[in-house]
Amino acid sequence: MNSIAHSRQSPLGQTLARILERRSSRVALGILTAIVLVGILAPLIAPYDPAAQPDIVALKELAPSWLHPFGTDPYSRDVLSRVIYGARLSLFIGFLATLVSLTLGVAYGATAGYAGGLIDSIMMRILDAFLAIPRLLLLVAILAAWPQLSVGALILFLGLTGWFGVSRIVRGQVLALKHAEFVTAARALGASRRRILWRHLLPNLVSPIVVAATIGVAHVIVLEAGLSYLGIGVPQPEASWGNIIRDGSDQVATLWWMSLFPGLMMVLTVMTLNVLAESMRGAYDRSST
Amino acid sequence: MTASASSSTALLSIRDLRTYFHMGSAVARSVDGVSFDIGAGETVGIVGESGCGKSVTALSILRLIQPPGRIEAGSRIEFEGKDLVTLGDEEIRHVRGNRISMIFQEPMSALNPVFTVGDQVAEVARIHAGVSRKEAWNRAVEALALTGIPAAADRARQFPHQLSGGMRQRVLIAMALMMKPALVIADEPTTALDVTIQAQILELLVDLQKKFGTSILMITHDLGVIAETTSRVIVMYAGEIVEEAAVDELFSKPHHPYTEGLMHAMPHIGRELERLNVIPGTVPAPTDWPLGCRFRDRCPYSWDLCAHEHPPLYQIGTSHTSRCHLAIEPERRKHPHPPLVVMEGAAVA
Repeated sequence: MNSIAHSRQSPLGQTLARILERRSSRVALGILTAIVLVGILAPLIAPYDPAAQPDIVALKELAPSWLHPFGTDPYSRDVLSRVIYGARLSLFIGFLATLVSLTLGVAYGATAGYAGGLIDSIMMRILDAFLAIPRLLLLVAILAAWPQLSVGALILFLGLTGWFGVSRIVRGQVLALKHAEFVTAARALGASRRRILWRHLLPNLVSPIVVAATIGVAHVIVLEAGLSYLGIGVPQPEASWGNIIRDGSDQVATLWWMSLFPGLMMVLTVMTLNVLAESMRGAYDRSST
Repeated sequence: MTASASSSTALLSIRDLRTYFHMGSAVARSVDGVSFDIGAGETVGIVGESGCGKSVTALSILRLIQPPGRIEAGSRIEFEGKDLVTLGDEEIRHVRGNRISMIFQEPMSALNPVFTVGDQVAEVARIHAGVSRKEAWNRAVEALALTGIPAAADRARQFPHQLSGGMRQRVLIAMALMMKPALVIADEPTTALDVTIQAQILELLVDLQKKFGTSILMITHDLGVIAETTSRVIVMYAGEIVEEAAVDELFSKPHHPYTEGLMHAMPHIGRELERLNVIPGTVPAPTDWPLGCRFRDRCPYSWDLCAHEHPPLYQIGTSHTSRCHLAIEPERRKHPHPPLVVMEGAAVA
């Protein structure tokens, strides 16, 4: 057994190999990687400063041209540069907010599922109460009450309102797995509760958690765009896909490039994330049967 | 003679163990007043059909019973001078896998699918010996080699699904013996394996026991396994011990009608039968054991005494006990009758 054959044999390695077998997921992964790279390398790629307003009279609302491939906005800013920086910020917010909700969701769900009984029931009823409030409504209420919101606070609130679904999934899986024989076997060997949870339960939940996280990132990107569009998300002059669309929203028919290009980027990102989540789910389901 | 290990020299001494499952208003008395000893280096077998309480007894020893199950107050499990029933959570953890370990029935599901087998064997040393990751790994490879796994260093890097059933069971044995425990509880260790592999695994267990002087509690429904490995046998039925004897004595002179039935139900190679003998009927529900003898309905000798008097464990020989009233009226054995379940079945039809 050499080490290459060995890594392919690990359940996670096998799942990964099965995901990459599908062409749709390879394409999706390629596009997503490109978008992420654009975001990371934004300062090197963007042709202009996204916040610069060189000539608010002469250079405003220009249609796409060689000089400004995505046109300019009502403040004479280059839309391509703003879309590139928007990718950086939207993805950053998506990943970080999802990280916050994952941490909370996994901790909450694992605690409820592992404790079981009365604690589980109480924790789940609290969760039901949270789930009863639509996330967007909750966010609008919170964000409207905080007039000058920083990006950090936005991430925090997006994360704080996004963990309910994940905790449901984790709780269900922990509940199902905690009576698995290998868990009893681990207890019989003297493993502590913490060790059982961290070493025996959670590693078996990586696949469903990653699937939920992938969908979560897509969801946060859409939510952030929606909030920015409403003017309570990312503050100006910071560029996000949502607030670029907002800048052109009073003249959608004439300034079509202002909603088309950031909109396309968003659709592309969300679609690739969903394709990936779907094929991960497929690969995971096949390996667990 | 090991068969009559007295409680003062016993390694494990169980007294009046009662493990009940509380489900709403119903109480399933799965283990209902079990007492026995295991001496140092001794191999004791517990035999009985599904639902007789043998596995619950095993899980109770390591306090692995999960709610709604619970070991009732007054039960005592003495081991190395400690009462395992009242031991603190942290202390019982130091007993589990260290002083008493357990081998499970289904070697595939008893292993964590996402870690290599070497990792899982090494984990035992990490928990109890507090050794470094590297040292634990070396010990794991040693333990795997000891259980007869060829090329143990390479096998250790494989995942459970890459090993055969017999290999996986060897891995579980390596985990169980890692800390050289005083007692190993083997819960149906060969049931899930092919017959040829079964023999190898049993041989391995016996060999390792001789090497380390470990006591073994062998739990099985297979009298063949009992005959091959144990020196003393406990027969359980409906949550109780119904007979206990040295293995030769039990096979040559079974006393309890249930033990007798088990022997008759064993297929023999070379003896042609139209069909296997079975004990008619099934074990009563643990939520309402009958008042008198719990085997009465299925017994070919039962009489009115059995209906209202719960039989005690009668002393049959020096180290032979049986929970059957035949001990006081042995001549009734000469006049068997169809068991009550059969007659009632006929009456209904």
